[in-house]
Amino acid sequence: MDKPKREAILDLSKYSNERIRVKFTGGREVTGILKGYDQLLNLVLDEVEEQLQTESEPQTRTLGLVVLRGPTITLLSPVDGSEEIANPFLNQA
Amino acid sequence: MLPLSLLNAAQNKPMLVELKNGETFNGHLVNCDNFMNITLREVYQTNADGDRFWKLKECYIRGSTIKYLRVPDTLLDAVKEEQNRAREAGRSARGAHVSGTGNRGRGMPQRAGRGAPRGGSIRGGRGRGRGM
Repeated sequence: MDKPKREAILDLSKYSNERIRVKFTGGREVTGILKGYDQLLNLVLDEVEEQLQTESEPQTRTLGLVVLRGPTITLLSPVDGSEEIANPFLNQA
Repeated sequence: MLPLSLLNAAQNKPMLVELKNGETFNGHLVNCDNFMNITLREVYQTNADGDRFWKLKECYIRGSTIKYLRVPDTLLDAVKEEQNRAREAGRSARGAHVSGTGNRGRGMPQRAGRGAPRGGSIRGGRGRGRGM
C-alpha cells in the first residue's frame, strides 16, 4: 500500500507542443508552449508570456524561449480547457 | 493512520486543497506521490482573496506548497478497513513461510560477511610485511 511511486505522477508528454500555465514560488506566473522537460520537472517553454501581478489591469511581458527550473514550479495546468468563471459555489450550502 | 495512506486512498475522490499562499483547488484526485505532489482533474481554482474563480481541466500541484487537504469523511472508515485487511494478510503470510526464509536470508550471509574482514586483516598483515 505504501510502495513508493518511482514513476512521475504527471505525464508531461501529453502537453508537448501545447500551451501550459506555470506558477512559481513567489507568485510569478507564465504561459508557454511545452517543448521539453525532464524528471525534475525542469521545463523548456517557447513563446513564453509572463502574466505580471499588478493591482490594476492585467499586464503581460514576452519572454520568448525559456528554461524553467523544476524545483521552483508550484502549479502546472494546460491553458486549453481553462477559463475564468463566475463563483461556482454560490448555489451550494 | 498515516497522512499519506489517507491521501493514497483518496484517489478519484473529491477534495479541497489549500496552498500556503491561500489559493484553493477543488477537484478529484488523479494521482499523488510521497512528496505529496498531486494531480487533480475537473478543478475549480479560487484565488487567495476568494473573489476570482477558474475552471481547470486538470492541474499538477507541488506538495511542498500545500497547507492542507480536505478529504471526504467516509474515507477514514475505508482506510481503517483496508489497514485491518492488510494486517490480517501480513500475519498469515508471516506465519506460513516468511519466518523460515527470512532467518536464512538474514542470518547466514551476514555472519559470513563479518567473517571475511578477519581473513582480510590477516592477508593485509602479510601484504604489509612483504612490502617492507
